[in-house]
Amino acid sequence: MIVEGDYTFAGTREAVWEALLDPEVIAHTMPGTQEMVRVAPDRYEGRMRVGVGAITAAEFQLAVQLVDVVPPERYTMEIDGRGRFGFTRGTATVNLSPDGAGTVMRFRADMQVGGKIAAVGQRLLDSVSKMMTKQGLEALAAEVKRRLAG
Amino acid sequence: MSPRWLGERVPRLEDTKLLTGRALFTDDVDLPGMLHAAFLRSDEAHGVLRGVDVAAARARPGVVAVWTAADLGDYWKPGPLLVPPPPIAGIVFNAATQVPLAREKVRHVGEPLALVVAESRYLAEDALDDIVVDIEPLPAVMDLEAALAPGAAVVHDELGGNLAARARQTKGDWAAARARAHAVIARRFRYDRGAAAAIENRGVVAAWDARSEELTVWDTTQAPIPIRNGLAGMLGLGQSQVRVVAPFIGGGFGPKIMMFYPEEVLIPWAAMRLGRPVKWIEDRRENFYATTQERLQIHDAELAVAKDGTILGVRDRFLSDTGAYDPYGLTIPINSQCTLLGPYAVPNYDSEFTVVFTNRPIVTPVRGAGRQHGVFVMERLLDLAARELGMDRVEIRRRNFLPPDAFPHDHQILFQDFRPLVYDSGRYAEAMDQAVAAIDYERFVRVEQPKLRAAGRRVGLGIVSYIEGTGIGPYEGARVTIEPSGTVRVATGVGTQGQGHFTTFAQLVSDVLGMDPSKVQVITGDTREFGWGTGTFASRGAVVAGNAVHEAAIRVRKKVLALAGAVLDAKEDALVLECGSVHVKGAPERAIRLGDLAVKANPLRGGVTPGTEPGLEATAYFGPDRGNAANGVHALIVEVDAETCEVRILRYVVVHDCGTVINPTVVEGQVQGGVAMGIGNAFYEQLVWGENGQLMNASFMDYLLPTALDVPAVEMRHTVTPSPLNPLGAKGVGEAGAIPAAAAFAQAVEDALQGGIEVLEMPLSPNRLFELMQDGAA
Amino acid sequence: MKPAAFEYLRPGSVDEALELLERHGADAKPLAGGQSLVPAMNFRLAQPAVLVDLNGVADLAGIAAADGGLRIGAMTRQRAVERSAFAAERAPLLAETLPFIAHPQIRNRGTVGGSLAHADPAAELPAVMVAAQARLLLRRRGGERRVEAERFFTGLFATALEPGELLTAVELPAMAPRTGWAFAEVSRRHGDYALVGVACLVTLDGRGRCASARVALLSVGEGPVLAPSVAAALAGAAPTPEAVRAAAEEVDADVDPPSDIHASAAYRRRLARVLTRRALTRAFDRAASR
Repeated sequence: MIVEGDYTFAGTREAVWEALLDPEVIAHTMPGTQEMVRVAPDRYEGRMRVGVGAITAAEFQLAVQLVDVVPPERYTMEIDGRGRFGFTRGTATVNLSPDGAGTVMRFRADMQVGGKIAAVGQRLLDSVSKMMTKQGLEALAAEVKRRLAG
Repeated sequence: MSPRWLGERVPRLEDTKLLTGRALFTDDVDLPGMLHAAFLRSDEAHGVLRGVDVAAARARPGVVAVWTAADLGDYWKPGPLLVPPPPIAGIVFNAATQVPLAREKVRHVGEPLALVVAESRYLAEDALDDIVVDIEPLPAVMDLEAALAPGAAVVHDELGGNLAARARQTKGDWAAARARAHAVIARRFRYDRGAAAAIENRGVVAAWDARSEELTVWDTTQAPIPIRNGLAGMLGLGQSQVRVVAPFIGGGFGPKIMMFYPEEVLIPWAAMRLGRPVKWIEDRRENFYATTQERLQIHDAELAVAKDGTILGVRDRFLSDTGAYDPYGLTIPINSQCTLLGPYAVPNYDSEFTVVFTNRPIVTPVRGAGRQHGVFVMERLLDLAARELGMDRVEIRRRNFLPPDAFPHDHQILFQDFRPLVYDSGRYAEAMDQAVAAIDYERFVRVEQPKLRAAGRRVGLGIVSYIEGTGIGPYEGARVTIEPSGTVRVATGVGTQGQGHFTTFAQLVSDVLGMDPSKVQVITGDTREFGWGTGTFASRGAVVAGNAVHEAAIRVRKKVLALAGAVLDAKEDALVLECGSVHVKGAPERAIRLGDLAVKANPLRGGVTPGTEPGLEATAYFGPDRGNAANGVHALIVEVDAETCEVRILRYVVVHDCGTVINPTVVEGQVQGGVAMGIGNAFYEQLVWGENGQLMNASFMDYLLPTALDVPAVEMRHTVTPSPLNPLGAKGVGEAGAIPAAAAFAQAVEDALQGGIEVLEMPLSPNRLFELMQDGAA
Repeated sequence: MKPAAFEYLRPGSVDEALELLERHGADAKPLAGGQSLVPAMNFRLAQPAVLVDLNGVADLAGIAAADGGLRIGAMTRQRAVERSAFAAERAPLLAETLPFIAHPQIRNRGTVGGSLAHADPAAELPAVMVAAQARLLLRRRGGERRVEAERFFTGLFATALEPGELLTAVELPAMAPRTGWAFAEVSRRHGDYALVGVACLVTLDGRGRCASARVALLSVGEGPVLAPSVAAALAGAAPTPEAVRAAAEEVDADVDPPSDIHASAAYRRRLARVLTRRALTRAFDRAASR
């Protein structure tokens, strides 16, 4: 499953970069994230709970490995999430480029989903990923805005 | 002995039991102290199995035992190779059979990793959630062509590649045929994978009686006798210590053959180890991974034709998916290879198949068993050739039918039973004539279709022919017994999954013994009742077991006449069997009821003539020299909504020839059900896999099994060309309906869209039709 | 396929149900017809700790007149509405839609309120309620509020219901004179989730021009999707076949359909345009004859 898009933040590339890689920010903005710890400069581990409607929030153990990091321009995340309802894994690439006073983030994630959620939830995968992307970006924009204001 | 019941529409004798809920199914078996099993299955399609931690599951209250591969000890071994490769020159075959629980590697989603036995299924499933599995994922092998490319991930490391088999069968000289052809049609065809989706999933209940040292296994199997024999060997028991009962089964369709599934092998073992009965009932999601499936093949085929439409030759190269293991050998691709030839004279043929291991669940025959692929390829090629030559599609078929005097017709290649593919009989043009008349082909093409098209409606007709090789050996048997009550009992080894055996076998006996079919009690699928035979598959029940039943009844009749002659003091040829009695012709008062005669056949005092066999009972076996060829024509009319890409079936006509028809209602039921499956394969059913080998539609929410609302009532006609290969003249019918439906459907949709698209793949969903029409428009 | 363990509570009154929902908070899940929740529980995708069964609650089911329109209790079975002549007279759009919902067996158990509270983007009833400008009655301990359907559905399986709150009824307003209706959908098999569905209500003015057109779609977004672009294109226009065709094309701007194994987003867009045109055509015909 490919999730891609772009988003313009009202902030400099450095500020956006810093926010994107701050485990606190990730924990606040990534939908369902319960906990996110930077266990190494290029590695995060944590837990997230994702639930939709009547579906009980499923807990995933999450590991994110950063590769190909070129501050403040681009990085790639290798994502590995596992839980009782199945797994999700894949890579996501983020590119930042200045755009006037703001910063354009282009992202492209190639994610695989497996287990029960793939077997019986295919009808909703696209909608859920769209929803989570939207929620994540909006939260991130708010966070960037808050930081710049503060 | 004039046939009174043969050919009659006797209402199905088993239906009262089935419809009133009194039939025993495996899940109805409920024994004191019974435990319940659940299996933990792999979420990964391909990976290195690093560990399965079951400590927490073992500690859960109510859990009795948890086993992984490591715990099975010597009992862990790969399953049997059920069908060895056929003796085809130059054949390559790499065997890799399924394992009871995965160890070291997982090879498809749903492969079992651990067995939990608990006081209830609820607790067993709770315990599954306690198990922690560590699998290092490997790239999943999914694409048949990519699987064979250098550098591809390998399903079975020890084989060094994903080639499961390759075999080529030829006849005549394809190259020469091609060289002199007026036209050569070449296309790539794809037929995708579906589930058999029987209404009843699989299930096993096993009970070990330590005092009598007997193991009883209730199993939803189509082949209880081979399962008994195999289990006895695996468990170190004598065959007579094991009783396998295949009770009523809600549909088989192939995957319930003698597979020695992990669950089938482990549940009896667990019951013996624990000293308590154990039940496992597959749930629907499990069924989508754990029960075998069929149908992905990709054909690159060429048809060489003369200007007048005469077939000069066919060349086919095809890939066939066997999934993660290949325990059932090459039955499917050989069926495809053979069935492609259809009812036609094909003087030159060159067909080679390559079977490929992938990280999908195991492939074994599902109703049709590779035959539909052959029919799809050939019929589509003929349609395209007709279009190219400007010929009528019925005409090109008529021109190539084998004539009625061409039999036996030797195709000079081997069939799935390893016997030469020789057609025994058939009247193909006559079947086509009947179908053309029934669907009113001429009127539709000349009058109806132009009129409807003028009104903006896109209607199309499809009409195709096919052959089904049926009724293969090796043998089946039956025992017929007249009880002192006057009831006749028939016991046979084949299992029954809804085919109507209780009725058709009863009819075969009633004519011979002169009694109403309702007085004949048929018992199938209990190894204690009858212990010799193979099983229900390959459309062979009526042909092979049917002839055995018939022969056993004839032998009992001989005993009846001999004893009645003595009792009534009459010559045997002066005796009449009627209404459960024997009487002397012209003297109805000189009579004895069969039950009373059975009592006399079991003398309790005094001496008998040496050599006397007690009872009115006989056993007989029947094994045909080779399979016979049933045939038929399917014709349908569809309407396509060009905006929404929905397809509606307006009419569906089947003309079928299964030789002697024992019970038309049963035959028509088989055909109607087969057509439902065929329509499913053509339009609704498709297992969809993610690139990482995940099945994306493992439920009936997303796997679209057609319902009674989606399948039209089939208008049925019969032609009757008895087979010379068995005394009854019967041919099989179990798979017929499913085989040509996709080919007919494709032709009809193309016709409706007036050639705007070519349909070269199955199934054809509305979404896919939308894409094809977009491409066509572009 | 057995559910995880849960506590089962069966209140006899709305007040009792509200008290239980408040007490158990996020752990509790109300059980209506169970046609979505129970399968999800059997897959263990839903594992509520507490199930509050509403089937024993008096006064939650029933169809009654309200302000010239219709009031339907949340626990009213879908089949009961389908069979109600009164509902068909007051809310013909609803009546036309009901047979499209799953199968009769499911409608025998499934409730109107359950479907609305579940808010499946592929469900028919939410789209009908949005098209019909229905109001949903939400009760909590010591309070009640009415929410417009358009505002009730807030996202993917998401509604305005707050913890401890229960949907008790839905009210459909009276239809204006010269109003026509239509429902259309395409599903793979009879009873499947629709690939796309369209519910519409149109009203003509005295000169036979379009005074109002409410078109709501399903399976093309996070929830029921209202099509304002279509309404704008039709506003004040004579509903000629050309005008309807052109307006239906505008639906493309209002939808953001997902792709799944049954239908790509592109195919769903095609279906949305075709079904909108067909539904509007039928609705305008009906409006003209009333």
